[in-house]
Amino acid sequence: MSAVAAKPAAGGAMNPTAMGVGIVMLLILLGICWYVAPGLGLMALIGIIIGGVLIGFGTHFVPVGGAPAAMGQAPGIATGVAMLAAGAGLAGLFGGAWAAEQGTVIAVVTGGVGGGLMMAITCMMVNFVYVFGMGIPAASGKVKADPITGDTQAEYKSQGTEGHGLPFVSFVGGVVGGILGGAGGTLIYLMLLDLYKVTLPTMMSATEAQIMPIAVSAAGMFAVGMFLVNAVLTAYNITGTIEGPHDPKFKRWPRSVVASAVASALCGIVAILIVVI
Amino acid sequence: MENIVFGIGITALTGALATVAGAAEDTESNIGSQGDPNSQVQLAPQMGFLHRIFNKAVAGEPPAYGLWCCLGAGLAWAFMAMQINAVLAIVLGCVLAVFVQGVYATTAYLGRQASLKKFGQPIYVDILKSMTTVTMAHAFVAIFCTVTLCFLINAALGHPFPLPLLGLVWGIALGAAGSATGNPYYGKERQYQNQKFGAGVPISASGNIVRYAEAGERNSLDNGFFTAKLGGPASGVCFGLIVFLELWRTVIFEKIDFPGLGPGWYAIFVGILMILVFTIADRYIETWARKTYGPYAEPKEASS
Repeated sequence: MSAVAAKPAAGGAMNPTAMGVGIVMLLILLGICWYVAPGLGLMALIGIIIGGVLIGFGTHFVPVGGAPAAMGQAPGIATGVAMLAAGAGLAGLFGGAWAAEQGTVIAVVTGGVGGGLMMAITCMMVNFVYVFGMGIPAASGKVKADPITGDTQAEYKSQGTEGHGLPFVSFVGGVVGGILGGAGGTLIYLMLLDLYKVTLPTMMSATEAQIMPIAVSAAGMFAVGMFLVNAVLTAYNITGTIEGPHDPKFKRWPRSVVASAVASALCGIVAILIVVI
Repeated sequence: MENIVFGIGITALTGALATVAGAAEDTESNIGSQGDPNSQVQLAPQMGFLHRIFNKAVAGEPPAYGLWCCLGAGLAWAFMAMQINAVLAIVLGCVLAVFVQGVYATTAYLGRQASLKKFGQPIYVDILKSMTTVTMAHAFVAIFCTVTLCFLINAALGHPFPLPLLGLVWGIALGAAGSATGNPYYGKERQYQNQKFGAGVPISASGNIVRYAEAGERNSLDNGFFTAKLGGPASGVCFGLIVFLELWRTVIFEKIDFPGLGPGWYAIFVGILMILVFTIADRYIETWARKTYGPYAEPKEASS
């Protein structure tokens, strides 16, 4: 079938076969890890997969309008999906890494709150510029009324556009996305840090205090890298722009979650193998 | 107590540096025409509107600034390892990072403009000579402030991440905050100054950017001059608030025991409280706009 004859791909359609293949690949990767590094390595990989899934799922919440939003032609934040999610998630990772000494739960929650705070400030400033700098009220192009506040949207949409600014539901979506991304990134960092703290002293014949700078740097770099992998994968799933949890594109999340799990498992295996082989 | 006072001082200084960095980043991205609004600068010649606007979308602002800040921080870190004074090391690292930015800006402008040759868009050498240095100067301010705040976070506040990694993290966050806040003001309010105020740009007007100034043709310095009045400072406030509040809640509240839960939870609850405050502020701005500006058209239920 030629490209011209092909039916337009329904962006939201799920492909059960592909999802099944993804799950099988995930199980194979888990099996490899169980064989090579049972115990701490496997636990680390499971944590990395959960973190990756949180990032992939959370990115769907972030309202991103891309180039059209920069002209007030579409609602959302005027930048790329992966870029904004990375900005929020890495701000969260920064906070979570700082709290790493206080335990996994506190660090992950701190990371989530850091990401949420970054998004809350950014989303508020976006509406500030739209309202006070450009005189444009927020309006969604995808729903008749805001699902949270019940505010009607159509009459606040200027002519020839799909909406603009951030309606309240998009703001909430942005904060939720930041929280999930920050928590996911921090979880990946903590899992790798715990593994490196145990394995690197033996591998390098050094004390834990001596290997800490290397462990922190390596875990941090892998966490940033895996964050970008998951955020970019999700950006492909979203294809361009999304308004937030009320957008029909949000329903595509199961596909992205499977893809994120497989990609995180693959990246995680590499991050684990460098210290266990 | 002295530690907390010292921490608050460093936090205030990093917040101020972040504010300057955010403002410089947005102004640089507008003079260089980087980020999403550059889609219109690229589109305009294809719609028959030739222009003298700088055209460099090297990458999205977050990865671009992630690279430049990481590079500046990494080089500064290497210079410090060579026992060079920290201030001098940061300046040297940032200068070298800015040269990389300049190379990217030059090749991006030449490459992008050359790709528009079939639409008759010339490559203006005078634009290349006059704009590139200005974007480099603004980029230096943004990178220097970001690397310095990363150095303070690492050396004075004791964050475990090494300097290059902090540069990458905060460089990406700087680009994300600056592009999110500043892009609409440059994209809608400046590039489409000929469209009605208080409404989005109709999709049918895409590509018809303003190309003439008070005297002669408009260039990107005019755009930087305009956006530095609101888009730049707003981006600075955005990034400054992010850095300041994230550090402030950690420095002051992280060590305090929360009754029944232990240390760490105070900082979390203060963070949640701050998110709620910004949520209320956002809702106020949204409802204020709806009440003050009113709808563009009557609701369908009311008109029928």
